[in-house]
Amino acid sequence: MSVWSQGSPVVALGLEKLGDWADELLAGLAMTLYLYFVALTIGFLLGVGLALGRQYGGPVLSRIVTGYIEVVRGTPLLAQIFLIYVFPYSLNAWLTPDGPPFFMDIRWAIEIGGIRVLSHPILSSILALGLNSAAYQAEYIRGAIASIGEGQMLAARALGLSQMEGIRHVILPQAFRRMIPSWSNEASYLPKYTVVATFITVEDFFGMAKRAIAATFLSLETWLIVAAVYLVLITVISRVLERVYQKTKIPGL
Amino acid sequence: MNKMEPVLRVRDVWKSYGDLEVLKGISFDVMESEVKVVFGPSGSGKSTLLRCINYLDPPDRGDVFLRGVRLGEKDTDINEMRARIGMVFQHFNLFAHLRAIDNVAIGPEKVLGLSKEDARQRAMAALEHVKMADWADHYPAQLSGGQQQRVGIARALAMEPDVILFDEPTSALDPELIGEVLQVMLDLAKEGTTMVVVTHEMGFARAVANEMIFIDGGVVVERGTPEHFFRGADSERVRQFLHKLEELYGKEREELRDVDGE
Amino acid sequence: MQEAPDLMTIVMLIIVNGVPATLQLTFFGLAAGFAIGLVLALMRVYGTKEMQWFATGYENTLRGIPLLVFIYIFVFGVPWVFWFVDAVSRPLFGVFFALGIRSGAYQSQIIRGAILSVGEGQVMAARALGMTAFQTQLYIVLPQAFKIALPSFANEYAVVIKDTSFAYSVGIFEILKVSRSVTAAWPALWVPSMLIVTVTYFVFTYPVTRYFGKKRKIHVSARGG
Ligand SMILES: Nc1ncnc2c1ncn2[C@@H]1O[C@H](COP(=O)(O)OP(=O)(O)O)[C@@H](O)[C@H]1O
Ligand SMILES: [Mg+2]
Repeated sequence: MSVWSQGSPVVALGLEKLGDWADELLAGLAMTLYLYFVALTIGFLLGVGLALGRQYGGPVLSRIVTGYIEVVRGTPLLAQIFLIYVFPYSLNAWLTPDGPPFFMDIRWAIEIGGIRVLSHPILSSILALGLNSAAYQAEYIRGAIASIGEGQMLAARALGLSQMEGIRHVILPQAFRRMIPSWSNEASYLPKYTVVATFITVEDFFGMAKRAIAATFLSLETWLIVAAVYLVLITVISRVLERVYQKTKIPGL
Repeated sequence: MNKMEPVLRVRDVWKSYGDLEVLKGISFDVMESEVKVVFGPSGSGKSTLLRCINYLDPPDRGDVFLRGVRLGEKDTDINEMRARIGMVFQHFNLFAHLRAIDNVAIGPEKVLGLSKEDARQRAMAALEHVKMADWADHYPAQLSGGQQQRVGIARALAMEPDVILFDEPTSALDPELIGEVLQVMLDLAKEGTTMVVVTHEMGFARAVANEMIFIDGGVVVERGTPEHFFRGADSERVRQFLHKLEELYGKEREELRDVDGE
Repeated sequence: MQEAPDLMTIVMLIIVNGVPATLQLTFFGLAAGFAIGLVLALMRVYGTKEMQWFATGYENTLRGIPLLVFIYIFVFGVPWVFWFVDAVSRPLFGVFFALGIRSGAYQSQIIRGAILSVGEGQVMAARALGMTAFQTQLYIVLPQAFKIALPSFANEYAVVIKDTSFAYSVGIFEILKVSRSVTAAWPALWVPSMLIVTVTYFVFTYPVTRYFGKKRKIHVSARGG
């Protein structure tokens, strides 16, 4: 018996209308996960760079990096995503004031198998989430690096390793393990903040739910389902990361 | 008040944590102005016993009476009883956000209901008693371990309790700081303060204990006067334990004799 | 069409029309979160098994769902729970409520950590003096806990003030919404007015987190949008 068939609890609650939206909601969820993983990865790679820049970068670079981190952390993601999203529009308005042809085309889209994987809104979302997450991740990574202690770096240099080699072979392998608990925080925060993509027309899970409600008028019901899905998603992510931490922990630390 | 009535009666006290039986029927009485020294190996239940006496950890079975009133009775206010039982801790447990004077005054003010002024006066007197009056305005973190412990003793004294329980008051201290705390405790004992002291400072015990109680495995193995123990205990276990203590603390005992002028 | 406003006018518009609602939401959200957080933290540290279970469940649930979903639930799903205010003000209450219950989950963790760091030795000493459980909290544990928690509270303030920006999506005239209404009329002002928005938030967050954050080793609590 399908959940949508007569007599099921879904129908009893009047949710069968939402059944028509199951595919769209799933597509939205896939978009949310896609934004999340790509942004988390970008944020991680950039975050490592920022953390190293702040820790080992010398006076100028470390100031610039610190400034970037503080500004990003001190301002709302929503404002950041709007900025990134509208920037090309403003550039067009400025450079080609008499209208099309635009300096920069923003109506492009890349589709694979009929699924839109990249477009101006999607790219803006990924960039905003990634650049934002990088600032938070950098602080966790730097915290882990700082906790390793200078003795380790000294020992590495004493063995004849260069600073870069010391970072690569001694500091980072330990830092990655140590940062898992605090980094998990960020990894389980980010899925929640992917909802900002909705505001620049990306059809993520939240945006699809909004559309479904506009058509079905099942507001509370839909939002409760949406809440439950996010809750499951985030619970799973934090459980998995907890497992990873237990597995990779250095014995005795 | 009847002089012959014990200040504190501990009757057949039992306590376990889960499957672990820590106390298995401990009994003793403490009379007015008596000093009882409780000793025994680590993990034998000495701290648990003290916590059972003032019901910080209520015993599973058995009774504790303070001047004839049973603790844990429905109509006895346990907080009122605790106010009359002082406690001094191994790790001092001073209130980190309060100056020495306020650490001592907070009990009289908030528990006994004294006015702020009276509580401060009483606190100052207690600090003088432990020779810490000059440090009244310092925070615990600004004091040495020995000074902190003396404030801890003043905090108990200021409540003017019927009996004070000491849980290894010197064992967290650096050797050179032990003397000042023991000296305060010796003075208190000689002034007639009723005390139950868990300690391995045998010099202290020899100087002022009316009775010593050896606890192991949650039971009283042997009890008697200091002379009884130092002449040679009955039980092999106690003799071995005392022998080990002598090896470990022998030197400090010498020092204490000097302090005490023996 | 009207002439486009200059930047100073946009700044004034944001300060006069947007900042009050942002600060109001922040203040009430934090205050409600504090009350909820304090109760939950005490439940977790001193409560019965059932209370601990409830408080932990509350924290995990509220931390696992986007704030925006809560805002939509209260503003569009169950607006009638705010029957006592007129319909126009209900969205404001919905956002305030969402911010408060979510912040409560995080403040609970902050307060609990701070309470635990006071240590049970001092609690035992207070109880041994004859203090009641309530007096022990009032005079010994909480004064120290709040001091310890100050940097984390500063961080939570930044989280809440940034997340008040989501109120824009339900039509509340806070900082972001005011600037969006400017850009709706003059799209060319998009970038400058978003930059003004960013600076405005930064002025409210950075000095606070900076001042309190000095004593703080690393940020492990909430991040905010
Ligand atoms: N709150 C508690 N929960 C569980 N076990 C405890 C607790 N307090 C003490 N114990 C156990 O009871 C035994 C006696 O402890 P304690 O009274 O501290 O011994 P002592 O003070 O003689 O060294 C130890 O094995 C200890 O681990
Ligand atoms: Mg002990």
